[in-house]
Amino acid sequence: MFIEIKKIYLNNEFIYYHCILQNGKQMAVPLDEANSDYQAIQQWISEGNTVIDNGN
Amino acid sequence: MAIDKVTSAALETSTNQPNFRNIIINGDMSQAQRGTSVSSLTGTDATCDRWRFAATSAGTWTISQSTTVPTGEGFATSFKADCTTANGSLSAGSILRFSQFIEGQNLQYLKKGTSSAESLTISFHVRSAKTGTYIVNIKDRDNTRSFSQSYTISSADTWEKKTITFDGDTTGAFGNDNDWSLEVHFYLVAGTTYTSGTLATAWESSTSANLAVGQVNLADSTSNDWYVTGIQLEAGSVASDFEFLPHDVNKERCLRYCFKHGGEASTQYLNAQGGYYDANYIAFGLVSPPVPMRSAPSLTVNGTVIVHRLNTDYTGWTWGFISGVQSQSWFVSANKSSHGVTAQHSLIKCATTSDFFLYSSEFF
Repeated sequence: MFIEIKKIYLNNEFIYYHCILQNGKQMAVPLDEANSDYQAIQQWISEGNTVIDNGN
Repeated sequence: MAIDKVTSAALETSTNQPNFRNIIINGDMSQAQRGTSVSSLTGTDATCDRWRFAATSAGTWTISQSTTVPTGEGFATSFKADCTTANGSLSAGSILRFSQFIEGQNLQYLKKGTSSAESLTISFHVRSAKTGTYIVNIKDRDNTRSFSQSYTISSADTWEKKTITFDGDTTGAFGNDNDWSLEVHFYLVAGTTYTSGTLATAWESSTSANLAVGQVNLADSTSNDWYVTGIQLEAGSVASDFEFLPHDVNKERCLRYCFKHGGEASTQYLNAQGGYYDANYIAFGLVSPPVPMRSAPSLTVNGTVIVHRLNTDYTGWTWGFISGVQSQSWFVSANKSSHGVTAQHSLIKCATTSDFFLYSSEFF
């Protein structure tokens, strides 16, 4: 599902994930455990994939 | 006003009124906010609201909201899956399902997990070029339990109405929250991973091999297609007539899970209350959805976002959220370094009439 996931910061605060999907679309995912895309990101991370984190 | 007696006509009128007995949302396939067609599909996508079409090693498909409907039943739309590249040699893990996922807090009256557990009856109109055995499965996600039943499409390219009853389950209660508890799956393709056991014709601990035993391979020919509409899942062992809801009511129920903003008019401003940008890089717009969403939604943008101020459009912006994403409001940002716009009170909008923001709190 995910090609790339990047943490987005604002004023030094991590505020959402920006994702590039296999179908070429881009998606912003909030930090909400009830969001199914957020859950999929956590699964993706648990499978050994790495989120891009360039800090703020 | 005192009522002396209830006539049979009055009773009939009363029972024909919508009472939200259909657990399924958008069973008539009338809402399709994401779009009416997706082609070259080999994975997961959606057209009709609330319905997921998911394929794994099961051919290539075009899915659409169709106007082919059963005659005289009152439906205007159906869901259609059309095979465009066949797969006649399935792998073990091949699977193709059309599914809806239902919140646990909408299911408490079924009393699942108690001695009073309600039966469930599903009814639907279906049509396919490929006759044979098909499987409908319901799954209790909270307790990992499943129940599958088969139906037969007897005549090719002919609408048939099917009714299936699932006995109540005295084991395992549904969670009372906004997460999904019940899955409804229409199998269309299943490899041996899902067919090598004995069909789970009663509630049981979910076992992959028992989910879809006997399912035909709908992907074995590009002549194959599958239509469905009028899907109703209700408590009890009798299928009532399909519960048609007013357009606005049905759409509001869908908006809880998906909200498309734009794509319909020339000026789809994100924020009628006024936006703001500073001299650095960010503009933002406040979004309040028509109904509270199930959860804080994800955002995708189909097309281009521009910033608008005093009848001038400024291009070259990227988009995203900023903080404050909740189910009832959130901010969307437009970012551009050294944008050169020095004034305040801008708006974010879609660049063209076909562009739109899509917010999703769906389960897929």
